[in-house]
Amino acid sequence: MGVMNTPLRRDRQDLLRAGLGHALNLGLPLLFVVIPILSFVVVSFWTLQDGQILLIPTLANYRAFFTEGSYLSVYLQTVGLSLQVTLVNVALSTAIALFIFRRTPRMRFLILMSFMLPLFMSYIIKVYSIRSILGQRGLLNEAMLGLGLIDQPIEALLFSRTAIFIALAVLYLPYAILPIYLALDRIPANYLAACADLGATPLQALRDVVLPLARPGIAAGAVFTFILTFGDFVTPQMVGGTQGFTFGRIVFSQFGLALNWPLGSALAVILLATTLLAVALAGLSLRREHVR
Amino acid sequence: MKQKAPCLDALLGLVAGLGLIALYAPLLATGALSFFQIVRVRGTLGFAPFSLDPYVALLANGEILAALSTSLVVATVSSLLALVLALMFAFYFVSARRGLGIAMQIMVFLPFLLPPIITGLSLLIAFREIDLGRGLVTIIIAHVVFIVPVVYRTVLVRLQLLGSSLTEASLDLGASRVQTLRYVILPQLRPALISGVLLAFAISFDETLITLFVAGSQTTLPIRLWAMMRVGFVPEINALATLIFLCTAAITFAIGLMQRAGERV
Repeated sequence: MGVMNTPLRRDRQDLLRAGLGHALNLGLPLLFVVIPILSFVVVSFWTLQDGQILLIPTLANYRAFFTEGSYLSVYLQTVGLSLQVTLVNVALSTAIALFIFRRTPRMRFLILMSFMLPLFMSYIIKVYSIRSILGQRGLLNEAMLGLGLIDQPIEALLFSRTAIFIALAVLYLPYAILPIYLALDRIPANYLAACADLGATPLQALRDVVLPLARPGIAAGAVFTFILTFGDFVTPQMVGGTQGFTFGRIVFSQFGLALNWPLGSALAVILLATTLLAVALAGLSLRREHVR
Repeated sequence: MKQKAPCLDALLGLVAGLGLIALYAPLLATGALSFFQIVRVRGTLGFAPFSLDPYVALLANGEILAALSTSLVVATVSSLLALVLALMFAFYFVSARRGLGIAMQIMVFLPFLLPPIITGLSLLIAFREIDLGRGLVTIIIAHVVFIVPVVYRTVLVRLQLLGSSLTEASLDLGASRVQTLRYVILPQLRPALISGVLLAFAISFDETLITLFVAGSQTTLPIRLWAMMRVGFVPEINALATLIFLCTAAITFAIGLMQRAGERV
């Protein structure tokens, strides 16, 4: 075997193998991830005429976002809604993560798992279940009627902005709990012992040591929540009805009923830019902390 | 922090308790309604007595069962494909030049970091460009793209923990590269591979937002359920959801225990 493999030949084989490795490992992601993303960005500059996509470059799709219909106002409303969910969920998740963190190590795992378990329940079933809980004749209204808390079913519970808010907050809560808890878990135990030895009250330790150290986790949880809620188009459709027209729904409808791929792509580029901005802002807020 | 602080603990406990109620309400409602159906007698709401009718009806609902089997096929094929790719990417990352490895890693992670709606529509447009009709193949490709990062991440963490000394020892002792992979590296990676694949399977099985873009007439369970729920609701869905949840809960706990066992080693 060694006789036939002259150094030159082995070099060529190695070169060939390395080339194949690069081709597979860089080529596949390029083909299935980067090119599709580039292609929808390209489509956003094309023209739609009489239902046909023409390869004429135009900025009309982007202009439509700013000038036509209600795209811009729906966009701003959706950003507002997602920010609201993010703020509430991060606050709740920080409290929940702290609660888990303050248990004994044995209990921590169990409690964390019970907060993560709902993630494994079918997403679509959860949305539907939330819808049936919030409905006008839903479980929540019936329960409150039964308890005598209200005389009339509250109509605004379902098919409203509130309904979307509640559904998104419930669906995406675990995504914020996990990163915040993991950040807390990384704090060395002797830091906390030092706090206590130096006379800090639990609240002081929390404010001056624990929460600042948990900031990367809090930022990650905020970014996850924002990205997921901003891009979700099924939840608003199922619990929001005609009231809940969010930006994600508008984008999706351009690829379904409305069938305007160039406009849909342009709106999707704006959606993507918004999420990238959110990531950048979170990163920036962390970096500034380092400098200080 | 570990000092006693009863007020703080009570407050945090209250939030955590409310959080658990909110998270489990949809699950419990679904489970309860699968055994006790809601009946309406002259406008007033009541529960029918315990029955397993929805579970029996489920066995006869061909539409749901067909979608369920499609989902199982898609999740199995795509998580196994993701496993092979993730292994390849992980080995590439630890062996290739740093810059190339990082470039690969960014590309691999992208679909998981971007909103699913972006991944879905970009694949839809790409499939259209190459004239690939929507069907099982497009669903599987989309799922692989989405779940490879999960498996890759678990495998890479384990691989980097291993370090290079085991590989070097094996090669020094005269094992070939293939033998080293087969008898030294893969057995060490096994816990990571299993938990990664199970997680990928679960994600693929439930994937909804990307699949909506790339599915054709033969579609997965979440999409079929979504379509069914728009016209009305059948009690079988509650039964099915309860069964699926119990299965996934069991698998999740298995993954969790396995990862904890892996950490202890």
